[in-house]
Amino acid sequence: MIFTWQLFAQTVIAGVSIGVLYALMALGITFIYSIVRMINWAMGEFYMIGSYLQYLLVVYLFGPGLWYVALPLSALAVFLIGTVIEPILIKPMFGAAIERKDDYATVVTIALLLLLRNLATGLAGPYQRTPGSNLPTIMLGPLPQSGARFAAFVCGLAAIALFYLLLKKTWFGMALRAAAQSRLGVQTAGVDVLRLDQAAFGIGVALAGIAGALLAPVFFVFPTDGIVTTVKGFEIIVIGGLGSIPGALVGGILLGLVESLGAAFISSPYQNVYGFLLVLLILVIRPSGLFGERARLA
Amino acid sequence: MNGDEPDGGEPILAVDDIHVGYQHGIDILQGLSLAVRSDRLTLVIGPNGAGKSTLLKSVFGLLQPHRGTIRFGGERIDGLQPYAIKRCGIAYVTQEINIFPQLSVAENLQMGGWLFRRDKGRLGRRMDWAYTTFPALAERRRARAGELSGGQGRMLSLAREMMTEPSLILVDEPTAGLAPNLVAQTYELLLAACASVGASILLVDQNIEDAVQHADYIYMVNLGRLKAEGPRTEFGPARVAELVQECLLG
Repeated sequence: MIFTWQLFAQTVIAGVSIGVLYALMALGITFIYSIVRMINWAMGEFYMIGSYLQYLLVVYLFGPGLWYVALPLSALAVFLIGTVIEPILIKPMFGAAIERKDDYATVVTIALLLLLRNLATGLAGPYQRTPGSNLPTIMLGPLPQSGARFAAFVCGLAAIALFYLLLKKTWFGMALRAAAQSRLGVQTAGVDVLRLDQAAFGIGVALAGIAGALLAPVFFVFPTDGIVTTVKGFEIIVIGGLGSIPGALVGGILLGLVESLGAAFISSPYQNVYGFLLVLLILVIRPSGLFGERARLA
Repeated sequence: MNGDEPDGGEPILAVDDIHVGYQHGIDILQGLSLAVRSDRLTLVIGPNGAGKSTLLKSVFGLLQPHRGTIRFGGERIDGLQPYAIKRCGIAYVTQEINIFPQLSVAENLQMGGWLFRRDKGRLGRRMDWAYTTFPALAERRRARAGELSGGQGRMLSLAREMMTEPSLILVDEPTAGLAPNLVAQTYELLLAACASVGASILLVDQNIEDAVQHADYIYMVNLGRLKAEGPRTEFGPARVAELVQECLLG
């Protein structure tokens, strides 16, 4: 492999832009964990739902030119699906307010993963589909970037910014941050903590849905298309630290960078290995992750 | 001894024969009944494991009694979620410092006003009240709550619960783990804060000697059942000494 600064710059841009989308997944996982105190293993299936919804809306309703109209609708639909599923499947696991069977809830999400995945296979078949994109290639200086990828990056950043504003600037966001620090505290403050769980679950899976919808034209749409990004999401959690929002962002970008630099300058078939090597390295030097324990939802 | 009181009237809180446990088949409270009357400090004493904290958690809806009723202002509140009970006008000051360490002091107080968050005027007035009543918090309003000292943390816990101007405030062991010289000050602060919003108090305490001084009416519980009750006049120094001994021996 020959090193050129141009290739390096292109690789860095590619790494950062895909990293932002990985970070969306990680944010969703971390966010749900912080509030509901449960790992949602079905995250990739909500990514998958987001990608199918985007596919359906673009292909059958709006056309590729109006992908940006389909995007918020896909995200909203995933949010609503999440808020319907949470009270049916997750909330009963927690029973009384004090006795919380967190482990059961986690197992339930694994069952949900299987259900949704097989449902998708049954409904849509095992085919790989793509909504297509008519976005032109964008030149960043002398460097060409795929239009759909660049749009995914920009919208991913916008989604993260919106999420951040929601947390930092609204009452609802303050209650979410407070709940992440003390469930008892928000209960004595008079917050309906079960409704908060429901909303948090919806928002968390919507983040995955947005990632799925944005990457639908970049990768293919199929029943297990969420697996890779979910694995990346969990890698980022290890890198950044569970329960940390800055950790999810920095971890996502770091993972994207390591993977694309490794693929470009070492050997591309081993792309996924570089990420795992980074995970191992972090586990050795900082087992709680870069931002673990010290920062949470701040 | 009976529960008659000279100035009886309807109690603000009436707990009637509640059975509560954390696990199926094991009841911590085994048919406990008591009443809190308005503008009074009702004290519940008893040894470790008597079920005092369980009582407060049950009243606040964190635990659900599977038998018996809890009435507040005549309405049944057992079975309600904590947020609904808070809305009725009950606040709960926990034994541990109950703050959001990563939020600022001001944000903590705002969270205390969650129930009337859309009423900016009231929120502002209550924040001013909190800062006037607890000047130490005013000085540190922008600091993260986690950076406060233990005493300031307790003040913030109390101030946050007082934001809603509750008519009944449940207080769990306010002096547990405090240096002896801070105990008197803590009770005074608590009483003054409650008096300023006109809240009745249901206090659970192991610091019997000090707490009895401030109480209007006293219940003694052990092993989930009522052992004795009466107005403070019936709890003279000799009887208190006897109770302390009984509590220590369990």
